Amino acid sequence: MNASSPSILRALSPADTEDESQSRALLAEVDASCRWPVMLLFSFSLVWLLIGTVFALVASWKMHAPDFLGGISWLTFGRVRPAHLNAMVYGFASQAGVGVTLWLMCRLCRTPLICGWMAALAGVFWNLGVAIGIAGILAGHSTGMEWLEFPPYATPILFAAFALIAIWGIITFRYRREPHLYISQFYLLGALLWFPWLYSMTQVLLVMDPVRGVVQAAVNWWFAHNVLGLWLTPIGLAAIYYFIPKVIGRPVHSYYLSLLGFWSLALFYNWNGMHHLVGGPLPAWLITVSIVASVMMTIPVLTVGLNHHLTMWGNFHRLKDSPVLRFMVFGGMSYTVASLHGVLLALRSVSEVTHFTHSTIAHAHIGMYAFFAMVMFGSIYYIVPRLIQVEWPSARLIRLHFWAAALGILLYVVPLAFGGVMQGLAMNNPDVPFLDPVKHSVVTLTLPYLKTRSLSGILLGIGHLAFAVSFIWILIRWMNAGRRPKTSTADPSV
Amino acid sequence: MKYGPLIFFGIFLTLAASWCGLVLMPQIQIGRQGAVRIEETGEFYPAARSGVAQQGFEIYRANGCIYCHSQQVRMEGFGADILRNWGQRRTVARDYLNDKPVMLGTMRTGPDLANIGVRQTSAEWHATHLYNPRIPSKGSIMPPFPFLFEKRKIGSHPSADALKLSGEFAPEPGYEIVPKPEGKALVQYLLSLKANTPLPEAK
Amino acid sequence: MIIIWIIFVSSVVVLPATALLALRWTARHGGFDDLQKTALSIFDEEEPVGRMTDRFPASTANEKKPRS
Repeated sequence: MNASSPSILRALSPADTEDESQSRALLAEVDASCRWPVMLLFSFSLVWLLIGTVFALVASWKMHAPDFLGGISWLTFGRVRPAHLNAMVYGFASQAGVGVTLWLMCRLCRTPLICGWMAALAGVFWNLGVAIGIAGILAGHSTGMEWLEFPPYATPILFAAFALIAIWGIITFRYRREPHLYISQFYLLGALLWFPWLYSMTQVLLVMDPVRGVVQAAVNWWFAHNVLGLWLTPIGLAAIYYFIPKVIGRPVHSYYLSLLGFWSLALFYNWNGMHHLVGGPLPAWLITVSIVASVMMTIPVLTVGLNHHLTMWGNFHRLKDSPVLRFMVFGGMSYTVASLHGVLLALRSVSEVTHFTHSTIAHAHIGMYAFFAMVMFGSIYYIVPRLIQVEWPSARLIRLHFWAAALGILLYVVPLAFGGVMQGLAMNNPDVPFLDPVKHSVVTLTLPYLKTRSLSGILLGIGHLAFAVSFIWILIRWMNAGRRPKTSTADPSV
Repeated sequence: MKYGPLIFFGIFLTLAASWCGLVLMPQIQIGRQGAVRIEETGEFYPAARSGVAQQGFEIYRANGCIYCHSQQVRMEGFGADILRNWGQRRTVARDYLNDKPVMLGTMRTGPDLANIGVRQTSAEWHATHLYNPRIPSKGSIMPPFPFLFEKRKIGSHPSADALKLSGEFAPEPGYEIVPKPEGKALVQYLLSLKANTPLPEAK
Repeated sequence: MIIIWIIFVSSVVVLPATALLALRWTARHGGFDDLQKTALSIFDEEEPVGRMTDRFPASTANEKKPRS
């Protein structure tokens, strides 16, 4: 029980009491049962992270060097950009999210993984669907609807995966052994149920029997915003609510606040979608409702932010000792920043300037990367050693990953958000030409910010490579550990 | 265990509520809109797109033009869309009745295209611009679309729709650049983009 | 058009009413009695309150100790 010991596993020394060994046996059983499905999901999510990063770098480069790879039809910006978005959202983020959900649900329900075949099958369908979908987008079969570009031959495969995971979640919850309901379970149940309902409803209304005219835009953005708000955000928050208290060994500051945060998010978040259409050809009341709901989001966002902050209060010094904590705190703070930025962007007077500009893209990346991806990275760093009973090989690689990612995303969003405002102000000034190669123009003023974005992409790519190297290395160690003959468990050097 | 059904109910109800508000209600309000007959011309608006222009619509969709171009004109006084001559009036729901999918777009890396068929009526300009935007528009960051064109040997005389290129963009002597059917279709689609028919709801 | 108002008003009334009823039911059945215990439910004898459960891996690590 040496608290200053340098590794996670060494901290878990042999049992002193009967109770300890019983609860260790249960947790070990839970972790072991999750091993294969979760490791599969994490491995594939990493593959899609790397593929998505390549797409991102190509797309970003093309924005300031448009003739780069210009002749290749399947790499044209208009195809590689949605390929990037879908690879990251459905390939990386969602799969990492499902992996975290599986493990977290089992841990919180205190039940080993049941119906593991459902999770494994879902993983297979998921990757098949994403791979076919991305190939379809690059081939020119995109549906032309943002966040829904996968062609109709890929979507049923994906839906099967989503439905399997949702059913699995309900079954696990039904047979849980832990009587208390922890806040993360609320968020995870929400995510698991909301997402397949959203997806199926949207496919019916936009693909199978499309609604006519601009109602399509309403459905499209009801869906797209809810992928962020009701699928990815709840998983991210569920992870932060579990890992921050677990890592620092201190319970959440106010459980009451966490319930308030959940239900106010459930109530308000899904009305936000129309703020993507401010000024657009839709009924004004519809847009206003979404703007009001966006402002109301300050309630859950500040509630959650306050709760996390007060939980961490007095424990910030632990950031230097725990890699997982660094990712979680960065992610948690970014959640607050992203959401407040979003509230601002939704207001009509601000949207008049920032709509249609790069500020929107910067905002999307604060949410998707600075919040969600960082939380996923931290979660994977916590979960994997417990699944496979092997330690991460290099603290240096983890540090490199964290700093490259943190600095990279800051270099991405800060200049681009600012550049977007400049772009919008210029666009609203009819005296500024839209394009002029010599004089000040809307297009040319954005170029420096597009270039800093490409630079940040290289930094983020380095972080992802460091992560990939760690992951492959720990997999190799795991395979080697399996091959060695079993020796006495009291000997820590083997 | 007893809270399970309650949470399930709450999760369902919150999503159902937003679906009713953001999807069902607009559908009831404007989902049954149809084309309207214009007094002055006797024509119906919006008119159906020509077959070639509809093919161009699919090319626009396949190549992700929406990621840099919007097709919606905001009202006067809200942004400078009308001041920039991107339209004479704001676009309304009726303008998009024939579009499947409706490609409003959310980015203006390039200009809004709702009325590009009014602003730029030259098929030749559009073809050259698509082949390589930097030919007519220096400093443009729009991607080139050479795969919508083909290079072929000049026959007895140059084709009518061969691009007039010079300098670094011109092919070697004896060859010409001609739009493929996909290229021609996309040009026809762009020429068809007009949303300036006066409508009472757009006042 | 009137149907929009019917749906709107009923949701403005029905939704908050349902939420309040659900809150009342939960409070009656003891859902809010011991929230702090729920916050503590993620801890147990093996990973108790007060102990950090994450560290950087040791730099000289070749640790592969399985749980006993």
